[in-house]
Amino acid sequence: MNMKRYLTRETMLGAIVVAFMVFLSITTHFNSKSGFFSLMLDISPTMIGALALSVVIITGNIDISAGTIMGFVAFVAGILSKADLPPVVFMGAALLTGMLLAGLNGWISVTFKVPSIVVTLAMNMVHLGFYATFLPNSGWVENLESNFTWLGRGRFFDVVPYIFVVAVAVAAVLIFMMKYTRFGKSLYAVGGNRQAAIYAGINPDQTVIKVYLLEGLLLGVAGLLKATTANEIMPSSFQGREMVFIAAAVVGGINIMGGSGKLLGTLFGAVLVYLLSITMIYMGFQDYYQFALQGAIILVAVFVTVTDFHVLRKRAARLIGRLGDGGRRA
Amino acid sequence: MRAKDINYQAILGVVLGILVILFGVLEPVFFYPDVLFDVTAIIGEIGIMALAMTFIITTGGIDLSVGYMLQLSGIVFGAVFAGSGSVPLAVLSALATGTACGLFNGLVIAGTKIPPLVTTLATMNLYRGLSFIIAGTNSYSGFPEGFKRLSTTLLFDTVPISFVYLLILFLLFNLFYTRGSLGKQLKGIGFNERALVFSGIKTKRILVLIYSLSGVMSALASLVYLGRLSAARTSMGNDLNLQVITAVVLGGTSTMGGVGSVAGTFLGVLIIGVLRKGYTLINFSGNIFNFTLGVLLIAALIVFAVLERKRSGKKKSC
Repeated sequence: MNMKRYLTRETMLGAIVVAFMVFLSITTHFNSKSGFFSLMLDISPTMIGALALSVVIITGNIDISAGTIMGFVAFVAGILSKADLPPVVFMGAALLTGMLLAGLNGWISVTFKVPSIVVTLAMNMVHLGFYATFLPNSGWVENLESNFTWLGRGRFFDVVPYIFVVAVAVAAVLIFMMKYTRFGKSLYAVGGNRQAAIYAGINPDQTVIKVYLLEGLLLGVAGLLKATTANEIMPSSFQGREMVFIAAAVVGGINIMGGSGKLLGTLFGAVLVYLLSITMIYMGFQDYYQFALQGAIILVAVFVTVTDFHVLRKRAARLIGRLGDGGRRA
Repeated sequence: MRAKDINYQAILGVVLGILVILFGVLEPVFFYPDVLFDVTAIIGEIGIMALAMTFIITTGGIDLSVGYMLQLSGIVFGAVFAGSGSVPLAVLSALATGTACGLFNGLVIAGTKIPPLVTTLATMNLYRGLSFIIAGTNSYSGFPEGFKRLSTTLLFDTVPISFVYLLILFLLFNLFYTRGSLGKQLKGIGFNERALVFSGIKTKRILVLIYSLSGVMSALASLVYLGRLSAARTSMGNDLNLQVITAVVLGGTSTMGGVGSVAGTFLGVLIIGVLRKGYTLINFSGNIFNFTLGVLLIAALIVFAVLERKRSGKKKSC
């Protein structure tokens, strides 16, 4: 039996997650029905959002406006459900909103050959300004009825939230797609080596637009999962979610330069980032330590993925050797 | 190419003129000299940061953490002043903070393979978190008049001294950008960093230098900003990233690297100042201002890309 096959980054992440959970169960009240329920409730939107960012990052792009797109999604769903439209209609409209906004990001970035970071950074501001200026009540929707919140509040066997089941199903479909379809492979090809992808008959520009549409769809799902857990919606409260998603993706081993990383890793990354943040809360740190934590997590995780440790080890050995002989060779 | 540059800057100048006339027509108060000079006062901090940002974007990098380096330096200034009561000590600590933040960015970017955008995206949250950790919900105020006068004195009763600082810095940066070898090296890094490495230029040192410079400039900007605001709190500097980047991109510095202009950045900063003052006068909120900035940034990117494509003809490159 080949051990190496099982010693992947994903299994290691999985082991860390399990160890973490055991540790939390022993030291806190985490190990209870409500603890697991709120874990599953909180990580579901984060998982899907992190997957959305992952597929974009795999092609070598990024989306800083992911959080504010989710805000739009939530607003559209909320306002349409207030108009007593059936769930199929308002959810469909919400998903479409996500695809349109993310697709616009991709289209601008590809057509005018501008880095997606700058486009989406600007879009982030455009969205926020749009909420405050053009949406009624700055986009605040309140008193949502059960025709909206049934999804977010329902649970199977009194423990497993509906949204967790939805999230796992979506994640499974996506992982299958990345592994076994031509489209999934083409994302890695475009992110890994654009020129080689062109020679392999892939149109990189089209692929990038498609991946943004997919991202928008996923952000639509994530926005719906998050919004339906409460009976009011404040679009601007979604701003900054993208940092959590990016952190989850890079912790999960998605290479920020594009071209590699597995979605299963992203899922573990999402859980791990969540566990870290609740541990901070259990330990009595204030909420605002989260900013610093996210920043530090991203830096460390990206450093680990992009660094060639063989080279680093050689360099360190050389340095130590040079110190050893008193700098005579230098 | 030179003529093209001047053309683009002429367009910016015309846009600036149109904006001034537009706001003047909407609100005649805008033409009063003290209102016009107030525009030059409010651009102090973004102007100072935009100069270093021009260098960084020319190399194909970006610094998303500028607003939060300003925030952290300001908070450190406030905290040290509240603790010791000494302005020189507080100024020194603020400058040291900004330099340390910028140096950290530079070392990570030059020393590891992490791209600038991710590095500064992460450090932006790091610095923001640090200023929250230091200040919490406190705000620091009660700075002595002498400190405020350092940045708010009006020369000849009209020209704010912060604008004079900005002009001096602008001339210095422009000199380095257009005359010395540094400007050429920055553009070289933006075009093809490897080629520069092979021709024996220590590009990593240059990168560390410019990102540190960005930190120093953010700290200076925070001092100018504090003189006007007179209170340091954790909300300061939140929107400044986008304003600074918009000013630089609007000025014609390409986000792909290799092309840029400090003079263009200066015009971009002026346009943003006029917009901000004008919006305040006609009672538009800060949200509409941010919305406009976002749209402006995307529009500038598109216009610049189209111009670029025309210049390079039909030649298709990947």
